[in-house]
Amino acid sequence: MASGIIRDVDIKGIACAVPEQIINNEDYASVFGKENVQKFINLTGVKTRYVAKDEQCTSDLCYVAAKELMKKLEWEPSSIDALILITQTPDYAVPATACVLQHRLGLSEDCIAFDINLGCSAYVYGICTVSSILTAHGLNRALLLVGDTSNFGINQNDSATAMIFGDGGSATALERCDGKSFTYFLKTKGSGFRSIMVPAGHARTRGKQIQDESLYQLSMNGSEIFAFTITDVYKSIESFFEEYGIDRNYIDMFVFHQANLFILKNLARKLKIPMDKVPVSIDRYGNTSGESIPLTLVDVLGNEKSREPVKVFMCGFGVGLSWGGILMDIDRSVCLPMIYTSDYFKGDDS
Amino acid sequence: MTLKEKLNLLEEVLDVEKDSLGENTLLEEIEQWDSIAVISTIAMLDNVFGKEAEPEKVKNARTVKDILDLME
Repeated sequence: MASGIIRDVDIKGIACAVPEQIINNEDYASVFGKENVQKFINLTGVKTRYVAKDEQCTSDLCYVAAKELMKKLEWEPSSIDALILITQTPDYAVPATACVLQHRLGLSEDCIAFDINLGCSAYVYGICTVSSILTAHGLNRALLLVGDTSNFGINQNDSATAMIFGDGGSATALERCDGKSFTYFLKTKGSGFRSIMVPAGHARTRGKQIQDESLYQLSMNGSEIFAFTITDVYKSIESFFEEYGIDRNYIDMFVFHQANLFILKNLARKLKIPMDKVPVSIDRYGNTSGESIPLTLVDVLGNEKSREPVKVFMCGFGVGLSWGGILMDIDRSVCLPMIYTSDYFKGDDS
Repeated sequence: MTLKEKLNLLEEVLDVEKDSLGENTLLEEIEQWDSIAVISTIAMLDNVFGKEAEPEKVKNARTVKDILDLME
């Protein structure tokens, strides 16, 4: 298992932004029938979701979150050495959206900037990647931006995907800090790459005349994802706890990717942890893809002032299939309150 | 677990009337047998019987007996 301890990096702040437009899933009764919608809400837990209007991209939400975070931390743009964006809904096919954001945020030309394509596991992969970059390159400060506007390109007549996703963007400030450390594991099972997929629209279908519009939309195999979570993900968490001698009773919060409520409950049951240690944000925000872990942290800690540390196990799992976990102590005061915004980038000529 | 208990358990999972299922009941004739029912069945097989059911096997089950066999 790819796992270990990363030292001398700390999370200094987390900010999340969601669109102002709120969608109530009960309003889908006219599309799918009242009973089916209720059944869906009972299983997934998703009652409302924040959904971006067409003109608002992931980058716009991440931009607002990053701006607020830099202001709160009093980080000068020139002091930021790296900006990594993890999204599956970039602004353009080319170039990397991180480069656009480096420009919009006024960061220095000495700043590393690139995108990573991951979803549900993005936050855990992001914290590990950014921390490794800081330590390996002897750099000091970085911004990790994670977000998705997953409702872009969703088939509104597919009940499995039309009512599940919320949109949002997050910014996490990481800084070199002597003495701080966290433990992690990262895993991949590419054999399940079809489980969550947009099959058409990129190079694999180049030159083909595709009539079936649904191939350009996200397809999700719910039963495979569920089985993957309660077997592969569950077993890796158990192995990780065992390998590093982690006593789950001393963990304050288990912040899981908010896939759906049924998955969260089953994962908690298998791990024998009480649901009151598993914060839930999916009921109000939907499944916000890679942002769901920072969003859940912001939802729980967004108004905390105490600097008392909280021991958090974060675990992201899904599309790829890709998953990973991190155990770390964070300050209770690390999160900004939730930001609601309709802002978008107007400097784009296209 | 007796056959009756297994059937009652499945009736509970599928949210159908008690004692309405038999071994030969065709799943496609049960209105509640949908993608959510497949997920609930996988969870039940894991939770009650400790079985890692392959999603395809549950999805492709034809009769109630096919599900009962996965409990073994």
